[in-house]
Amino acid sequence: MEHPPRLRIDAASGVPAVRQIADSLRVLLVEGRLVPGAALPSVRRVAMELGVHFNTVAEAYRQLAAEGWLELQHGRGAVVLPRAVPRVKGQAWTEDFRTRLRRMVAQTRSQGVSPARIAAELRTLAKEVVRS
Amino acid sequence: MRLVLSAFCLLMGALLFALPNLTRREILFAVPVPPDFRNSPAGRHAVAMYRWAVAAAALAGTAALLLVPANLFDAAATAVPLALLMVSGAGFYRQHRRLALAAVQYTRPQEAEMTVAPDKLPGFAWLAAGPFILLAAAALWLHFHWDLIPLRFPVHFDAAGQPNRWAERTVKGVYGPLFFAAELCAWMLVMALAGWFGARRSRSRRVMLGGMIGVEYFLALLFVLIAVQAPLGFPVWVIVLAPLALLIPLISVWSSKMRGLGEPMDSTPNERWKGAIVYYNPGDAALFVEKRDGLGFTFNFANPWSWVLLLGLALVIASGLFVLG
Repeated sequence: MEHPPRLRIDAASGVPAVRQIADSLRVLLVEGRLVPGAALPSVRRVAMELGVHFNTVAEAYRQLAAEGWLELQHGRGAVVLPRAVPRVKGQAWTEDFRTRLRRMVAQTRSQGVSPARIAAELRTLAKEVVRS
Repeated sequence: MRLVLSAFCLLMGALLFALPNLTRREILFAVPVPPDFRNSPAGRHAVAMYRWAVAAAALAGTAALLLVPANLFDAAATAVPLALLMVSGAGFYRQHRRLALAAVQYTRPQEAEMTVAPDKLPGFAWLAAGPFILLAAAALWLHFHWDLIPLRFPVHFDAAGQPNRWAERTVKGVYGPLFFAAELCAWMLVMALAGWFGARRSRSRRVMLGGMIGVEYFLALLFVLIAVQAPLGFPVWVIVLAPLALLIPLISVWSSKMRGLGEPMDSTPNERWKGAIVYYNPGDAALFVEKRDGLGFTFNFANPWSWVLLLGLALVIASGLFVLG
């Protein structure tokens, strides 16, 4: 039996919990591990499992609803929406993407991870992105 | 009765003596420490200091119970267990304060399954019905053996085993203890279910549920024995020792299961624990979290439902004062 997808946050990472939840959920949506029509567990259940406040999870759900990934139904929770991939115009995204990637690489290097290991991880990730 | 209470005092001392061993290796005196800390000189010293105090209090208390003159025995029977608990509590808290300097923060990534599959109770949960069946069976037995019940019978005994309060053969007098026990068991059941659905998914949550069902059996057995003692006329010490005979293996199995889980500790923030036992974290949605003293779970007092459950207990106790009074 396939295990259900999991959200994962790390309180020690220094990144706000709401951002970790939204990012982690977005990964599951982009990778297709949460498919359109799938119902998400209640805010209460997720908050309890992650050890955070209800509002933190609710805010993450709202962010993803604003991005068009989820539909929030009052009293019935959140459901994954079919989402058309927006058309990218110009090259502005590359600069933004590189800036964010550089920041993440710098943060990881400051934690003591060697450049060679980071590069190897990026290569692995690039292959996974191409495959998906 | 002197011997029974002295044995009880020794038993209580033995349980308190064993307390540091009942917890996970990462917890010592409610302080999260590195797993090998308890084998270090500082860890061994803390355990030894606590145990010396408990052993001295237990032996002195037992000697007092055996040797005090008869006219002081009642007072000693109340004071000794209380003093033992106070010495143990003070020793525990003292070591907790000392070890707080060596505390580490266990943080592990938290995970949540993104599924709406229902959070099913384990198969053994139906055993929670047992205590209610036991109480109902005792009530039925009393109903069919009404004539065996004396018109006036003892319901409370002093430390020497002599009755000091009596009840009459009325519905309240006969069924009162069973009704109160049913209320207590119902409250325990609500706590067990709230613990299951209000704590993070873990194997320890399963052990907690089993332990709480076990405590229900203990309460039911205790009050069934109280209710049927008058018609059956067995010695009073049976009421003390039989439930203990159930409780001791229960604690032993419970603690061994908790220690043998092999799963990481619930990573609650150290700064949210007050005085080793109170957890107050408005930023945590859980109603129950794993205790720092290693014996089960406790409330997150920042969750309003914890106060509702405590109010329920207060109501049960108030009702008990009326029913048993």
